[in-house]
Amino acid sequence: MKALPRAPAIAAGFLLVAAVLLFAFSVGGVHLSLGDLLGGHGEAGRTARVLAALRLPRVLLAALVGACLALAGAALQALLKNPLADPFLLGTSGGAAAGAACAALAGASPLISPAAAFLGAAASSLGVATLARRGGRLDLERLLLAGLIANAFFSALLLAAFSIASGEASRTMLFWMMGSLADATPGKVVVLAPYALAGAAVLVAAAARLNLFAVGEESAAALGVDTERTKRVVFLAASLLTGAAVAFAGVIGFVGLLVPHGVRAVAGNDQRTLLPLSALGGAALLVAADAVSRAALAPAELPIGAITAALGAPLFAWLLLRTP
Amino acid sequence: MNETLIETRSLSARYGTSRALDGLDASIGRGEVVAVLGENGSGKSTLLRVLARVLPVSGGEVLFGGRPLAEMPRRDSARRIAYVPQSVDLVFPIRSLDLVLQGRAPHGRGFVADTAEDFRIAREAMRACDVENLASRDAKALSGGERRRVFLARALAQEAEVWLLDEPTSGLDPRHRLDFLETLWRVHGERRTTVLLVTHEIALAASLATSVLLLKSGRAIARGPRADVLTPDNLSRAFGAPFEARGSAFRVRSAVLPGGAGDL
Repeated sequence: MKALPRAPAIAAGFLLVAAVLLFAFSVGGVHLSLGDLLGGHGEAGRTARVLAALRLPRVLLAALVGACLALAGAALQALLKNPLADPFLLGTSGGAAAGAACAALAGASPLISPAAAFLGAAASSLGVATLARRGGRLDLERLLLAGLIANAFFSALLLAAFSIASGEASRTMLFWMMGSLADATPGKVVVLAPYALAGAAVLVAAAARLNLFAVGEESAAALGVDTERTKRVVFLAASLLTGAAVAFAGVIGFVGLLVPHGVRAVAGNDQRTLLPLSALGGAALLVAADAVSRAALAPAELPIGAITAALGAPLFAWLLLRTP
Repeated sequence: MNETLIETRSLSARYGTSRALDGLDASIGRGEVVAVLGENGSGKSTLLRVLARVLPVSGGEVLFGGRPLAEMPRRDSARRIAYVPQSVDLVFPIRSLDLVLQGRAPHGRGFVADTAEDFRIAREAMRACDVENLASRDAKALSGGERRRVFLARALAQEAEVWLLDEPTSGLDPRHRLDFLETLWRVHGERRTTVLLVTHEIALAASLATSVLLLKSGRAIARGPRADVLTPDNLSRAFGAPFEARGSAFRVRSAVLPGGAGDL
């Protein structure tokens, strides 16, 4: 048993994110030299600056989306006392994607899609919570099954939307289904950032209570936590983070599963350390995965969801085998 | 009896539609050790869960020190009432010391317990429960008996005046059972803790408890000093099995078992 001291661990997390950001920034179909960018003159400098302007929002968006998903996953795992919990597996991501897709199908402007994704995520959370509610309380085991139902429902909805849509609209549907950071713009980064910060602040403030939940909901209740209220707050914050991430990047699975497990193995399960480190780890993972997706088959792109699933599915299987 | 600390009035609680407590009237005096006995499903564990505020009340009320428990802030009652469930499955790794520190959570600001005082109290509690040497071990990897004592240390660190213990000795081997009971008895003696002990061991109730609460179908069928409550009649009624006295112990008559009885 070990637990890393909090402040140095978080500082190290920031350094990791910075290093990965620099790496991802220079990687792609065309190599971007930092020397050219900062000191380059003439053609080389101009090309570097154009590339940077294109790449910077994408890298930053990847970081924010990764942080949102990993944070939501980490918080849900502690809340539900279940290492398999993840916004993707609980149907929150699916609800967000279906919400955004329905809005697109109805001809709503792309500016509406984030709002529609939030609504979808919240509706999915509400539906899942209602299905999981028993005797006036949220039953945590039923929650995972309800997530399964929600996922089946929303993927049917997405497929139906995809088959009805045509041309540009069907490309958009595909974006929600497959997940992609290719449409990143500075505006999206600016809009996503406050949602990410708000969700993160709520969850980090709940970290001490989540530590008690990680031992058990009843245990937390017996130690004086208003468990129903905490569940509502954490569930809502996780939905907000997930909705925000999906609105701008589509459904990218397994980030919420992968990152907290990696962090837990290194830094222990104290949520006060785990949550901030998961946010940083999620940022690093998704930025790196996006860099690989751009570089691996350049000039074509590998879907980023394929990379996270290639890492996440085996981990999920391994966790399933280990869970009694 | 001592001054009444906990009183239940027509207390009811349910799981879904099934009533687990059905109009329970009982009172518990300060400093008592109360054994809660009854057949499976009689509402013993439910009573503890309601008192720990883990399960909501569906009817009637609980008075704690004369005040309605439901009106007390949760953190206040958590400082005064500690609950040790029958067993807790741990999913995530947690250091035993951190688990015991959780007992300080209701005392800390925002449920954070990491002051030097918190650590001192947690370590002292672990020493009292003989688990100090396990402090840095993962509680998940401990044996059942060790983990039981770590949770008892958590309750001790909580510095509560009431302990709710759900079958604390079930599944323990004789030595750990003895260790556990000795720790419990010592702490009770030192701190005048009021203890509610759910158990199926009638012998344990007969030797340790100052009074007994006998439940059947969510109601009290007998309560009071152990000598008054632990009679063959009462036990037969509570358990639906033919009890007979055998010296100071009890046994159940059996037409099947050799010797004609099951010893308890």
